[in-house]
Amino acid sequence: MTDSLISARDLGHAFGKVVALHSLNFDVPAGRIGLVGANGAGKTTLIRILLGILSPTTGGATVFEEDATSEFLSIRSRIGYMPENECLPLDMTAADFLVHAAGLAGLPKNAARQRASEVLTLVGLDEERFRRQGEYSTGMKQRAKLAQAIVGHPDLVFLDEPTAGLDPAGRDDMLDLISRLGTFGINVLFSSHVLGDIERTCDWVLMLDGGTVIRSGPLDQLVEADVASVEVVGDLAAVAANLRTRGAEVEVHGHRLVVTAAQADPFLLIRDSLADTGAGMLSLGPRETTLEDVFLRQGGAR
Amino acid sequence: MSDRGVVYDLGYVPYDGERTGRRGAVSATFRDGNYRVLGIKRRARKKVMPWALAVFAVLPAIVFVGFAFLLSTFSPDAESPFGSHADYFNLTGTIVLLFVALAAPELLIPDRREGVLSIYSSRPMRPDDYVAARFAALLTVVAGFLLIPQTLMYIGFAALDADGFFNALWSNAGDIAKILASTAVYAIGYAPLALLFATLSNRKSAATGLYLGTLIVGTILGAILFEETLLSGREYAAMLAVGELPTHVNDWIWGSASTAPMATAGFDPWVSFSVMIVIAVVSTVIVIWRYRSQM
Repeated sequence: MTDSLISARDLGHAFGKVVALHSLNFDVPAGRIGLVGANGAGKTTLIRILLGILSPTTGGATVFEEDATSEFLSIRSRIGYMPENECLPLDMTAADFLVHAAGLAGLPKNAARQRASEVLTLVGLDEERFRRQGEYSTGMKQRAKLAQAIVGHPDLVFLDEPTAGLDPAGRDDMLDLISRLGTFGINVLFSSHVLGDIERTCDWVLMLDGGTVIRSGPLDQLVEADVASVEVVGDLAAVAANLRTRGAEVEVHGHRLVVTAAQADPFLLIRDSLADTGAGMLSLGPRETTLEDVFLRQGGAR
Repeated sequence: MSDRGVVYDLGYVPYDGERTGRRGAVSATFRDGNYRVLGIKRRARKKVMPWALAVFAVLPAIVFVGFAFLLSTFSPDAESPFGSHADYFNLTGTIVLLFVALAAPELLIPDRREGVLSIYSSRPMRPDDYVAARFAALLTVVAGFLLIPQTLMYIGFAALDADGFFNALWSNAGDIAKILASTAVYAIGYAPLALLFATLSNRKSAATGLYLGTLIVGTILGAILFEETLLSGREYAAMLAVGELPTHVNDWIWGSASTAPMATAGFDPWVSFSVMIVIAVVSTVIVIWRYRSQM
């Protein structure tokens, strides 16, 4: 588990007879981690265990190599948390709430005031800081929620569905902010069921489905361009058969072949097969694997 | 070089200063609790009731001392016609009861209803710390309600004493312990039960109504059962008058004759004190148990 930001070993949790997490095993490094899964996959349960709010039924988890169950006070002093649900006192201004949130994060009074002011500017709420949070739009509330999570300058911040309810412009802004957190030295665990948001912001992906880990790895390895698409002129079946003899997986879509080659460069295989069969081509290009492809290929959201 | 100003984007500045950990988190929760019950950093309408009650609690003491000063100017040997410390506790006890009925729901319910509890759950503190900080915040303000006017009276009457200010302060020093004891009795007698109702209800008005209703109905029911029936053991019905228990103990502390239901039913003050403590402990245990399951 060395050098892991977060690890789990046989981690399980059940709410009565309903099993939310089934014996999870994973290690994720520092950076921006995407926690992906459909609603009910177990993302929030996992976050609550990592925060020490819930105790695992089986196994255990570590954050900063400290046990999440027994050392939760130490862990919590180094993290921030942006919950999915409403969490803002509606009758307080953002300025007052941020000072309070900084105090809760353990910052002394003067530092809390200064940090609150800086972070409100960072999230774009500096001009709205003296408005009651009950008067905020959804986008402003999400920004205030993010601000309270990072006001203590945590080593790691848990973001639970931070783009929920945002319009496209608000989503863009929020994702930009999340992307920048890494440059501030803040590690991110970004929980979402929107795969595009994770693809845009994270460098490691932990996929959950039905309370089990279906994939954990670097994003660039999951979505690398290992698939090529070629539009064939000539004997399509012969080209496809030739590609298969070379170890490629081939899908036929009309006159187009989608070629996946895990062990070799699909473009070189296509070149050789076209040469062998004497067929021609109209177009050739990469078809990048998206996170959604990976998720569905792994049987996600069955 | 242009003499026009240049704007630098200083960007994000990481914080690497002191961190106070659990102590700081609990202290922030306590401080926020004080602000919340007094309406500080909240809308103006949230300030009206607590500050009006604070004025009602303190103003009579200022008036008493002022009138005593005027009286002593005209007739230096005259006794003050105004109430003693014990009487003043009975007055402020009622004000504190109303304050606690309004403040306890304000202290606990919004955090649960607005989801703020999830923020506290992620900070370096335990559920018990949250409850302790909120309890302490309420008890501190209640103690202020009770102690400030009593202190004004203690100092004011000493200043008017014919034996001199410092002699009077010294000769009445025994009252300080009694003032502190009575303050603790009213705070413990009223606050935990109010916090219990605030824990069990998600509506502030319902929590306030149920708390005051329980105390009022308990007092009336206790009186009816004790005075209007011939049931055996009817004197135990006086224990239903939970709101009057601190009054009985307060009268005992100050050596005054008590008309509290428990006194009328023939119980010693220590019985009232014991019942009060049991209610406070049971209420606190239930509150902690509820918060442990929510945080």
